[in-house]
Amino acid sequence: MARPPAPPKARSKGRSKPRVQAPTPRPATGRGLNQRRYVIIAAVAFLAIGGLIAASILSTRDSGSPSPGGGDVTAGTALPGAPDVNRLLKGIPQAGAVLGRPDAPVTLVEYVDPQCPFCAQFATQAFPDLVSQYVRTGDVKVEFRGIPIIGPDSVGGLEAIYAAGEQDRLWNMSELTFMNQGTENTGWLDEDFVRAAAGSIPGLDVDRLMTERSSDAVSRQLEQAASQARTAGVSGTPTFQVGKSGAALGEPFNVRADSIDDLASHIDPLLGR
Amino acid sequence: MSERTARRAVVALALAGAAIAGYLTYTHYRGITPVCATGGCEVVQTSHYAKIAGIPVAVIGLVGYLVLVALPFSRVREAPAVAVALALSGLGFAGYLLVVQLAVIDAVCIWCLASDIVMAVLTAATIAWLRAADAARLG
Repeated sequence: MARPPAPPKARSKGRSKPRVQAPTPRPATGRGLNQRRYVIIAAVAFLAIGGLIAASILSTRDSGSPSPGGGDVTAGTALPGAPDVNRLLKGIPQAGAVLGRPDAPVTLVEYVDPQCPFCAQFATQAFPDLVSQYVRTGDVKVEFRGIPIIGPDSVGGLEAIYAAGEQDRLWNMSELTFMNQGTENTGWLDEDFVRAAAGSIPGLDVDRLMTERSSDAVSRQLEQAASQARTAGVSGTPTFQVGKSGAALGEPFNVRADSIDDLASHIDPLLGR
Repeated sequence: MSERTARRAVVALALAGAAIAGYLTYTHYRGITPVCATGGCEVVQTSHYAKIAGIPVAVIGLVGYLVLVALPFSRVREAPAVAVALALSGLGFAGYLLVVQLAVIDAVCIWCLASDIVMAVLTAATIAWLRAADAARLG
């Protein structure tokens, strides 16, 4: 009798019970399925982690990226240059008005007004080299002394800068202010500017800074800087004093603000260079 | 560990995590400083990294923990798998935030550290739940 052609599965597994052979054994299915599920779970978690980290980084970049319009800022947006300032100062100790290692052998004092154009030029063109060549190396610590000589905006600006010092971020605030300096006494150093500058500094509590602008501690520092400037005979900005740490500071002097060279000639002898 | 025990552990740990994230969410919206033994909580909570697209990280954590509280009560077959994926995601992101605290912000928030520890143990509990559930289902 002619036999009908068997289906391929039946031929390979046997003639009598072709249908029984078709399913694969149950334990093998479970293990295979589980492995596939574990891979899917891991992949989903991996994608979620990647997505969250990417969103976090993008979110931070957005809040730290320059905003168009120079000094014309809105509260909540970061100021131009913020990432550069934060990078420049990252990892360098700050304690109140002092930038640099507490045991640095040389102390440099800088008298500034936040509205003074030459201070801004020094801050943008010479200060980064001062930080990288002298401060980050641990040779020099720099003390900020703000004196309001130009006008009412200077007072408000200095209060904000010293308030940032209460959170050990004075130099970030000072640099950001100079990088975004507006026209003298036009009201550019207003609440929005201060909020935007403060909001551009990682780890700074903006509301606390806004409150501490009018604190006794800030007033005392302003008065002290003014008194020190008077004693030293400082009448303009930027003016510097330098000396070995722990010893008396030398006479006040002015420098070219467009490079570190002039200032370096005052510092190097104290470092034996 | 039996499936039931694992499920209970997931609920308990997720509740602990939700309490921490809830406290940080509360302090964020009230504008108050968290009680902080290390002194870095305020710095961390006010940093740029404390928000993603305007949403506080504490809120994201709170939602994640609450979902993990709910999942063990679900009758959905893949609930343990979803729990593991969610907990692993939370643990990975918490690890990233810990690196950010140490390397970028230079301040550590003790509440975040506590949440990290809870999330690590919670992840282990969800894995135990998934394994127990799979073993029960496959015999």
